[in-house]
Amino acid sequence: MATRTQNTRANHKWGMVIDLDRCSGCQACVIACQAENNIPLNDQSAFLDGRAIEWIRVERYWEGDYPDIKARFLPVLCQHCDNAPCESVCPVYATYHNNEGLNVQVYNRCVGTRFCGNNCPYHARLFNYWEPVWPEELRNQLNPDVTVRTRGIMEKCTFCIQRIRRSTRGGKQVEDQAFNPACVQACPTDAMTFGNLNDPDSRVSRKWEDERAYRVLEGLGTNPSVKYLKQVDAHA
Amino acid sequence: MYYRRTLTDAQINRELLDVVLRTPMWWVIIVSILGLIVAGAASAFGFMMNQGLGVTGLQQPIFWGFFITNFIFWVGISHAGVMISAILRLSQAEWRRPMVRAAETMTVFALMTSLLQPLIHAGRPWRIFYWVFPYDWARGIWPDVRSPLVWDPTAIITYLTSSTLFVYTALIPDLAIIRDRSTGWRRTVYGILALGWHGNPRQWKLQGIAGILLSALILPVFVSVHSIVSWDFGVSLVPSWHVTVFAPYFVIGAVHSGVSAVVTLMILMRKLYKLENFIWEEHIDAVARLLIVVATAWLFFFWLDLVFALWLREEQEMTVWHLRLFEPPWSWLFLVFIVFSYIIPVPLWMFRRVRRSFTWMLWTSLMVNVGMFLERLIIIVPALMRKGPWTFTYDTYRPSAVEVTLIVGSIALVVLLLMLFSKFFPLIPIWEEKEGQKLIDDVRVGDRVIPALVKEH
Amino acid sequence: MHNGEHELTAGPLPTHQDVARDVLGRFQDLGHRYWGWVTVLAFLFILGIVGFIIRLTEGFDDENRANWGYFVATLAFIVTTFTAMPVISAGLRLTKANWRRPLTRVTENMAITGLLVVLMLIPALIALPTIDGRFSIWFEFPLGAPGVWDVIGYGTLALIGLALLWGVALPDLAAARDHLPASSRQRVIGWLSLGWVGGVRQWRVLYQGSLLAGAMYLLTYPLVQTLMISDFHHGLIPGLKDAIIPATVVVNGLQGAVGMTLLTMYLMRRLGNYEKYFSVEQFWALSKPLLAFSLLWFYFWWASFITFWYGRQPGESEVIRLLVLDEYRGALMISFFLNFIGPLVALVWNPVRRSVWGPALVGTGVVIGALVNQVRLYVSAFSVADPSQHVLHPRPATQWPDAPDLLIMVGAISGCVLLFMLVSKIIPVVSIWEIGEGLRLVKVRRYMNRYVRVIAKSH
Repeated sequence: MATRTQNTRANHKWGMVIDLDRCSGCQACVIACQAENNIPLNDQSAFLDGRAIEWIRVERYWEGDYPDIKARFLPVLCQHCDNAPCESVCPVYATYHNNEGLNVQVYNRCVGTRFCGNNCPYHARLFNYWEPVWPEELRNQLNPDVTVRTRGIMEKCTFCIQRIRRSTRGGKQVEDQAFNPACVQACPTDAMTFGNLNDPDSRVSRKWEDERAYRVLEGLGTNPSVKYLKQVDAHA
Repeated sequence: MYYRRTLTDAQINRELLDVVLRTPMWWVIIVSILGLIVAGAASAFGFMMNQGLGVTGLQQPIFWGFFITNFIFWVGISHAGVMISAILRLSQAEWRRPMVRAAETMTVFALMTSLLQPLIHAGRPWRIFYWVFPYDWARGIWPDVRSPLVWDPTAIITYLTSSTLFVYTALIPDLAIIRDRSTGWRRTVYGILALGWHGNPRQWKLQGIAGILLSALILPVFVSVHSIVSWDFGVSLVPSWHVTVFAPYFVIGAVHSGVSAVVTLMILMRKLYKLENFIWEEHIDAVARLLIVVATAWLFFFWLDLVFALWLREEQEMTVWHLRLFEPPWSWLFLVFIVFSYIIPVPLWMFRRVRRSFTWMLWTSLMVNVGMFLERLIIIVPALMRKGPWTFTYDTYRPSAVEVTLIVGSIALVVLLLMLFSKFFPLIPIWEEKEGQKLIDDVRVGDRVIPALVKEH
Repeated sequence: MHNGEHELTAGPLPTHQDVARDVLGRFQDLGHRYWGWVTVLAFLFILGIVGFIIRLTEGFDDENRANWGYFVATLAFIVTTFTAMPVISAGLRLTKANWRRPLTRVTENMAITGLLVVLMLIPALIALPTIDGRFSIWFEFPLGAPGVWDVIGYGTLALIGLALLWGVALPDLAAARDHLPASSRQRVIGWLSLGWVGGVRQWRVLYQGSLLAGAMYLLTYPLVQTLMISDFHHGLIPGLKDAIIPATVVVNGLQGAVGMTLLTMYLMRRLGNYEKYFSVEQFWALSKPLLAFSLLWFYFWWASFITFWYGRQPGESEVIRLLVLDEYRGALMISFFLNFIGPLVALVWNPVRRSVWGPALVGTGVVIGALVNQVRLYVSAFSVADPSQHVLHPRPATQWPDAPDLLIMVGAISGCVLLFMLVSKIIPVVSIWEIGEGLRLVKVRRYMNRYVRVIAKSH
């Protein structure tokens, strides 16, 4: 098992653990992310065109045959890989790894080659095919901390970097659980845990070493900062 | 049977400079039609810039579609020029003479067109200069040299520069001929372009050396260009793209499609410009033989790609190949691709009568390029459709009207540029033809007279 | 001034009869030197058999598989160099290269090594682990894969090679039959000449047949190289997915073939006074494909390396550590310098290409590099303990040759040369009729102020 990267330059190495045993697939995280990050409304036509933008999405799998059938849920967001395939293919450094273990997207640099999107095995990167528009009555609810992205560029989950920036302003060390990304905050079953992996006592660090923990598509060697805790069936 | 056509220098001049020195009506008509198509494509591009890339058929997992296919297609076509000119020049193949100029020119125009494609395709083309030109004062950082998308413009611009030089070097003696036959401002322009060529021995020697040197130096560039294009795919983690064989597979496929395009071009040229005295059955025959070898080598690499892709039975890899081979519409496209690019043309080329028939060769060579366009499409889109083991698979990719217009426009653009070129410069190098006439001789063996070559090492 | 040795003059070129008299004269009396070499080679070959028997006594168990690595590498080396040589004559005949004429026979005579390859293939296949439970080119294909199919493949190659050798040699066998005094050797040659009298129909069959057999050899060679690298290298290294490697070894084989041809021609010049036939023109002409194949070899290798290196997947990283960066780095470096850097640096210069020593030296380097490269590919593969894993772990240590390995390598290579020597006792080592035909197609003419050669291109 790959160990987490110790980051010496910064105090923080952000990571997330998602307990699939607790996930009910309710999509609260998806909606919370939508509201927090100024994501345009995904109406029916966006889905029909295959152009919905969801920084976090809930994958649903069916396991077994009727009547012994189970729905499995897997919330997928940008995995903030330490060995990110999307970063090295961008010609303009629009995406790079920062010293807090985040995979950062710089909207202003992006020219929209979409190579990063192809090379992301998690389908976490999304392209703005149209200029985003909101209905008149929703214009004033946009989050002032988050850039509204123009058309023609890539975007993806940032681990709510605006919250990270606000809490760690001035280089201060934040307490564990002092803030959370919108999806974590919204999760009704507390399935998601976010925090500093460099702090061995943080909640996320403890869950990180759980025996149920695994990474998605581990064989690709991307070394993500997101781990999942396996769902274990009671009767199995 | 082979027979020599002896042409006098005057006749060569007259027939090859026909279109340059006067403007036939059909030329004006064809150029206007092509111009209209190109203008239509340009407005489609404008519309797309105004509205956003939403007007294409691209979707969330299928980020690359027709434009990138077209990019690879035209880079592929551009490989004909060097294959025909540089390699055949270095190997002193006599039959190259009538096709070098057309092939090289097509290389240049195909490359220009291919360079347009990523520009059209990008989300914010107005910012693309950040990407190509490595200056750092605007953003404080240089482009990321790790990205294959930085290697791409580097290789292609190098190739474009050297191909242009190649065309120009070979054009100088002919420019001097035109200079001597034109008057007024034309004479001045051709005079400047001809760089004071008088055809003295020293100039010929330098021109010869330049040709050989450029041929040899352009070869690594030639190989690198399509290799680098292939690494846009090869170095990624996308299943069925991450294959080591991609570089030579793309290069040989490029030669296959490019040389076929040269055949198409030669036959059309012969018809339109009445070059029957210069483009013979023997020439097409020789290219067709070359094509058999190239196509078979290409098939070997294709087979390697397929066998080794399935070697480890990786689930995602198998899914992609299943989509390509068995699920319509991809299975149908795949069938058309393999039948058009190999199964029909190559066995036909085995027959001497087909190789020496301009009609057959025209249709088979067109067929190859339809097949090769589909090949690139089948490499790109199905792989993106089944990239990861995720459940949210959207619809299949359908190119929109805008995309189709731009593809048609790119073909029209290359043909238009070639037509315009032919108005100002001869499409068959006059001096090469004359040199060829000088180097042919007969040898009597027994009771037969066999055409022979003067070899001067 | 076609070969740099002398200016062309209006004087007559040698005739077919001159060539026939000279070649058959040498052929009739091979001299004591020949027998000396045959004795030495036979002794070395027997040493190789001793080495092989030692290996045999250790058995074929899975834990002993690593012992067979050098044996397989030697086998691959023979396929890469000696057995690849007929490809040169086949290719040059198809492209109607006029300068091929003196050297076709040398390369075709090496087709005989195909027999040794088939013999060596059998123990190598026994040492190969079963394909059950590991990935291989045979997928779920039964019917004795891989053994039966490999033997069929290499058997076919050997048979085509022998057919090419024998068929093209018929006119010369007939000439030798008519020229040599009656002896048991003359009777064997006469029997082998199959009643060749040089009728129009016979010549037509010979032309078509030589082109066909050559084309078949050209097509079969890449396929058997693919079989070899897939079964003995690729299928044994877990996590390796290198689709280009068959093409890489084919190019390595063509390179080895040209290198070995240059070396053979050089040795025949030095030891057998064949300067008249293997002139600078042949060395010069062969040096160009040698340069091209060297560049291609590196290019193919690089294409696979950069894909793995960029992919950074765990399985790939382990494989490039084994083959490129760590255990076999030294072997790769040697073949990198001898098969790529050496040819590149030396052969871009026309004065080097247009000499005897230059191409011969580079060719020798290429042959040595090819040997080291086969060791890198096959010894590493055979030393993997468990080919059925998904990721190579742990990586096997570098394996050096022991005494039986060295005996086998020296013995097998000597065996190939020995076979070549024995064949040249039956078939003249220079093709009389092809040179004669070439002389008829060449005329020296005056062109402007000097003499040039005019070569007829028959269609």
